[in-house]
This record gives sequence, structure tokens and C-alpha cells, in this order.
Amino acid sequence: MKILIVEDEPKTGEYLRQGLSEAGFVVDLAQDGADGLHLALQGEYDLVILDVMLPGLDGWQVLQSLRHRGLQMPVLFLTARDQVEDRVKGLELGADDYLVKPFSFAELLARVRTILRRGRSGNESTVLRVADLELDLLRRRVSRGGRRISLTAKEFGLLELLMRRHGEVLPRSLIASQVWDINFDSDTNVIEVAIWRLRAKIDEGHEVKLIHTVRGMGYVLEAPEEH
Amino acid sequence: MFRSLSLTTRLTLFFTLAAAAVVFGLALLVIAASERHFIELDHMALQDKQHLIEDILARSNSAEDAKWLLREALSHHHGLYVSVHDSKGETLFQSEGFRLPRELSPADEGNGNDALIHWADEGQAFRGMLVRVIPAYDATTRLDILVAMDTAHHTRFMLELRRTLMTYAVVTIVICGLLSWFAAYKGLAPLRAMKSRATTLTSQRLHQRMPVEAVPIEMADLAHELNKMLDRLEDAFTRLSEFSSNLAHELRTPLSNLLTQTQVALATRRDADTYREILASNAEELQRLGRMVSDMLLLAKAERGMMLPNRERFSAAEETHALIEFYEAVAEEKGVRLAQRGEGEIVGDRLMFRRALSNLLSNALRHTPPHGEVTIEISQSSQATRVSVENTGEDIDPRVLPHLFDRFYRADPSRSHPETDGAGLGLAITRAIMQTHGGSISVTSAQGRTRFCLEFPGGT
Repeated sequence: MKILIVEDEPKTGEYLRQGLSEAGFVVDLAQDGADGLHLALQGEYDLVILDVMLPGLDGWQVLQSLRHRGLQMPVLFLTARDQVEDRVKGLELGADDYLVKPFSFAELLARVRTILRRGRSGNESTVLRVADLELDLLRRRVSRGGRRISLTAKEFGLLELLMRRHGEVLPRSLIASQVWDINFDSDTNVIEVAIWRLRAKIDEGHEVKLIHTVRGMGYVLEAPEEH
Repeated sequence: MFRSLSLTTRLTLFFTLAAAAVVFGLALLVIAASERHFIELDHMALQDKQHLIEDILARSNSAEDAKWLLREALSHHHGLYVSVHDSKGETLFQSEGFRLPRELSPADEGNGNDALIHWADEGQAFRGMLVRVIPAYDATTRLDILVAMDTAHHTRFMLELRRTLMTYAVVTIVICGLLSWFAAYKGLAPLRAMKSRATTLTSQRLHQRMPVEAVPIEMADLAHELNKMLDRLEDAFTRLSEFSSNLAHELRTPLSNLLTQTQVALATRRDADTYREILASNAEELQRLGRMVSDMLLLAKAERGMMLPNRERFSAAEETHALIEFYEAVAEEKGVRLAQRGEGEIVGDRLMFRRALSNLLSNALRHTPPHGEVTIEISQSSQATRVSVENTGEDIDPRVLPHLFDRFYRADPSRSHPETDGAGLGLAITRAIMQTHGGSISVTSAQGRTRFCLEFPGGT
């Protein structure tokens, strides 16, 4: 997966490049709009991460030029200005998502993966499996090692999210948004408690723990061999 | 052009013009009256002489007699000119040096009896009367009597009078102008006082006010309104500067923690797990800082009159239910019962509503003791939809209640805030959201129950 980052702030750009490279992506970094557009037109990128405020061509102009030339790769905007008009403008121009600075890297990574997953849904299996944990979407059943586990509706939703994106660290904000449709940062420890309760049901009594807390980042469901 | 004149100039101009009209009018009246008066006097004098002559003519027996009598009676009158002719052109009497006006032949009857006639001859101005009488001694003849006076001294007097009056008028108007300029200047002094007061107002000295008592009634209102405006500005300004200092203070503590922790970590070589631990802790602190900045931006937007991004009609009960589902686990862990009652519709932004209510709910959960309960009640009347969040627990100090919605306010300032605790912006955000919706928020706390009530306008 090839990602192009267009970001003029050198530190931000470098950190993003490093972070995304370490997450397994091939990453190029451009420092201004013109370079970014040039690179985007040349290389075949699966995703472009665009800062709105750029010297020369701004992010919107870059996006417009890309779309004008028929390039339909997904674009994620980074903006320091949280203005509704900005969001609307970005989305109208054909951006796929936006993140307001300061954002957490876990959040960015999760969004990037969400965008890249889109459009290649393929053969969605109705049963999700991670190690000996099994989640049956149709029958709304969960079992581990053959033993049934009863979950509430929201716990089921949470587990489904973690299993679909197993191996990925999911930030709390993403979990709140995907499972409870709470689309704002809240100060509460709701997610913590929910994970803690889910973990009690899933992992308790098992040698191998599947649900892990990554401090400062979020939560991940993974089998040991995925490391 | 007039608009560019100063008030003082305008007033001076008005007053001067008014004074000029009055003084000139008066002068013209005096002149006209004097003129009329002189004519009246002349008329009476001429009539006197005329009657005297008529008398003489009536008394005389012959023309010779009449001539003699006339000469007796009229020779020594200075400034009086008389000429008496008969219809044949013979002169009965003619004052010395007096010539009949050319255009006025003695035979001319056109002027009637009493009318005054005016003429000038060789630089002299005359006013006279012409009458025709039948003398007693000869009924066949007609005598034309012209009595006239030299009006030179009248003219001189009038000229003098005019000159005096005009001089007086001009001097008076100039004085009036000066006085009115002075009066206007003095009268407008309060305006200048207000202006000088205004120039001393700076952001550091916003407590200065316009002198309401010292200015006349007409300007007191203006001064009063300006003062009210200054009150509002000062209030807003104070809040703003308090806010920035609060903000700096709030940011300083976590930043210094981060810095210290990072520098201590760097001071000696440590193992990877320790580094990971420190970085994770930093990340948590940084996330909280980030959230605080976002909250502040949201508040700033709300105070600038943030528009509602999406305005729709939605069911308050459904949104509340979603939030209760979100908080359910936490409540259960704490052994707090979460309940919801009632129905109602709200017109506004769904996300903002969730956010407002979510702040109240998480607050309530934080302050409810184990085995307590939190109840959300929705009610709808014709004017408003109310959503109240009530929790059991210790009463809030009544002195604290009014400050609950202040930014960064914490009931217990010394309390160290664990991660679940907000930056003290939650209730301020909720209130800002309510204000954006044109609604209000209120709080009561008594008898072990604390109740926050959101009121949205509109209702059914």
C-alpha cells in the first residue's frame, strides 16, 4: 500500500512518515503543494494525506487538480482549522475524510486503514475468527474454544469491531464512534470500562489473552502469533 | 457642505442670522416710522399755512389787499415757500427765491386738495400742497395756492438716523455673533468632556465612565447608554483576560509535568519498558491537552455565535437512550441505576445535543455514590422541551452553584484531577451549546438530589 503525505511542517511530516512506514505502508513525503501534486500524478498511490494549509498550492487546490485529471485515489485531509465550512468544502471537493489537528496517531492510522479497506470488501465472511475466538454475525453468537459466551448487544458490537480489525490498535474515539455512535471526544472512562468487561468475558480463564491495552494509543485484539 | 461645519460654527451661524434679522427689522421699522412721522408733521404744518392763506384770501377785499396781507403774513417764515397765482397767471405772492416746479403748473388740478407733492429743484428737495380757492373779493377768478417746505433738514436727519442705526445693527450683530460663539462653545463643553474621557479609555483602564451627573439632561441619556456599553465591554474583556490567564495556567501544569517527566527519563539510561511506560504516560497527558484545546475552540466558536451545523427535529428520548447505552457499563460498574422517562422533540443539532447531555451525564455519574441513581426526565410543553438530569448524592454548596458553568471552574480547587476528570470545561460547553440553541440551563441541589435542567425553546 503506497501512501503520499503532503505536509509542510517538517516534524509532523517526518513523524507521520515514520509512523506509517512502521505500520507497514510505503510512504512518500512532499513538503509543498506543487511537489505533492507532481508526486501524486506520477506515482500510483493508494491514499494521499493532504495538509490544507500548504505553501504555494493549498490542499484544496491539490485535490481539485487531482480530481480534475481523473485521479480518484482516496484523500484524507489534515487541518488545523476546525471550521464546519472547511469540512464541507473538503468533502464537497471529494475528500474521503478529514482530521483536525491535534489528532492522535492511533486515530490517523485507524482512519487510514478504514479508508483503504473501503472498496475491497470482497467476500465478507459471516463468521469472524481470531485464534480460538469465533463470532457468528448471522446468529449473533460468540464462542471461545467451543464454549459459548453471552454478550450484550453493545459488547457484541465492540467485539465485532475489534475482530474485524484485529491486529490494529483502535483508539478510544474510534471505538466510541463506531460502536456507540458518539462522535465527539468525551472525558469519560466508558470505553475503558466496556473493554474491561468484555475482556473479563472473553479472556478470563484462558491462558492466551486476546484483548490488549496499548497505553496511550488504544486497544487491540490479536492472537500472540500476530506479533 | 453644511454637514462638515462644526456644531459650534453652526450654532454661531444660526444665532447670528437670527440676531441680524431682528436688529435689521427693528432698524427698518424705526426708519419707516420716522419717515412717516416727518411727513405727518410736514403735512400738518403745510395745512396750517394753507388755512392761514385761505383765511387771508377770505378776509381781503381786493387783490391788492390780499397781496399786502399775504406779504405781511408770510414774508418772514424761513423754510416756508408759498406761491399764490390767479388763473390768469398773475402772481399774488411768491416767496423769495422760490420757483414753481416746472412739471407742476399752478393750473394743474390733478393733485386734488390735500395730497402732498414732492419735487426737487437745484439740489433742494421740496414737499408741498397745491389747492385752488375762490377768493372772497372776486368770485370769477381762481387762485392756485402752493405751500411748500424745504425738506433738506429732514433728509439730513433721516440720513443720520439710517447711518446710526446701521452702525448699531452691524456692531450688535458682531457682538451677538461673538456671544453666540461663546455660548455654543460653553454649551458644548460636556461633549468635549465626554470626548476627553473617551480618549483616556484603554483596555487597561476600562473602568472609566462617562460623567452622567456632570452633563446636561440632553446628554445624560447618551452618557448613560455609553456607560452601559462600557459595562458590557469591560465585563467581556475581563472574562476574556481571565480566560486567557486560566488557559495559560491550565496548560502550564500538564506541560511542566510532561517536560519534567521527559527530562528525568532522558537523564539516565533506562530499559525499553521504562521508556515505553513514560511515552505512554506522555501520550495520555498530551491527549488530554489536545482535548482541552479542542474544547476551548468549541467554546470560542460558541461564544462567537457558532451556527448550528445541522438543524433538524429529533426525538430527545432516542438520543438520550443512545447516551444511556454508552454510559450503561460505567453506571453498572459503579452500581448506579440509570433511568430515563418521558418523551419530547427538539429542533437543533443532534450531535451538539448529545454532547451537552453527555457532559451532564458523565458529571452526574462521577458524583453519584454507589447504589445511587441518575434519572433523565424529558418533558414537553407548548413553549419548551426540558431535559433534566438528576442524581442522588451530596448537595452542592449553594455558594458554588452560580459558578458551576464558569470555564475551568472546579468545586474543589485543590483536587488533583484523575484522567476521567475533565478540564472543567464540560458544563461551560453545555451552557454554550444551550445558548446556541436559544435555550438555557439551570441547576438546583437540595435534599440529596442535584438536578440539571436543559430547556430548549420550541416545544410542540
